[in-house]
Amino acid sequence: MSWESGMAVESDVAQLRRGDLDALSTLVTRYQNRLYRYLLRMVRQPAEAEDLFQAVWIRVAEKIQQYDPHRNFEAWLFTLARNLAIDHLRRIRPESLDEPIGDETSGETGTSRLQSHDPAPIERIVARERTSRIGESMETLSVVHREVLTLRFEEEMKLEEIAEVLNVPLSTVKTRLRRALDRLRGTMETRFPGESWL
Amino acid sequence: MSDHQKIQDMLSLAAAGALEQTEEELLLNHLRGCDQCAAEAETWRLLAGGLRRLPTPQPRAIVVERARAQAQIRLFEEFEHRWNQTVIMGLIFFAWVLTLVSWPVFRFVTGGLIGLLDPSFHHLWITFALFTATVWTAGVAAAVVLSVKHRGERRLA
Repeated sequence: MSWESGMAVESDVAQLRRGDLDALSTLVTRYQNRLYRYLLRMVRQPAEAEDLFQAVWIRVAEKIQQYDPHRNFEAWLFTLARNLAIDHLRRIRPESLDEPIGDETSGETGTSRLQSHDPAPIERIVARERTSRIGESMETLSVVHREVLTLRFEEEMKLEEIAEVLNVPLSTVKTRLRRALDRLRGTMETRFPGESWL
Repeated sequence: MSDHQKIQDMLSLAAAGALEQTEEELLLNHLRGCDQCAAEAETWRLLAGGLRRLPTPQPRAIVVERARAQAQIRLFEEFEHRWNQTVIMGLIFFAWVLTLVSWPVFRFVTGGLIGLLDPSFHHLWITFALFTATVWTAGVAAAVVLSVKHRGERRLA
């Protein structure tokens, strides 16, 4: 996040804490795509991600007075989102969140559902195919591994911020990151054997 | 564990940009002289690049608008609730101050300063105590009725 962007967020959060409805609207607009992407990576189902998306913003409105302005707002927001997503997953899937997930979506993945249908040059199609394979393989990983990958590579959070969101030490973040990447690569080699998947 | 094996274990974290400065330097030195690790590092780099290029899903506009509206309503309710709490606390404080201050004033007006030191019960003191108790009881009853009504309205909403 750039310095200007960070200052704008701080300003919006300060106004939100004073009860400014427009500031809340601005923050929703600013974070809508990132937050939804994170939730979708966590729960995989768009309908569930949409419900959680709404729940997160209601929770923000309820808890904003408890937010410590010295803390990183993004980390706080994603922590709220994570807690709601984990609660949701525990309700619908009480087994361990560390376990890899089977293919429950009958071949259609979130990534394939979400791809753009715009026509594109051939190289774009090839690149998209590669990305699609990575996305498909990522969906088979456990929640714990999916979330650390999306926070690092898609949200581009620093390791310290990830540690704050996940509420774990930095060393644990690194361990999870390495294991998640190892699992992802292993999955891709298994799903697409002998193919040049990169 | 050999140095080569250590380096292999660091490659995935290197692609994630999660190495310390010293580890990165160690890795780069090794990669200059090891084709096998360099190839492996390239594979990890491509995988990390693919992860960064995953498509960004977007929520439906109607979902965003609904979330925005619900959150704004909740924020308004939270602030209304806090304001009401502040007002009630202020009123209670004011009522106590008024109660405590009005008694000596009342005695001063009716019986003079010396009367303040008189602990004996008489009809003025009883009248004042009854008046205070009635006011407080009526206030509490009104607060309970309003609270019940407000809850009912919120449940219906």
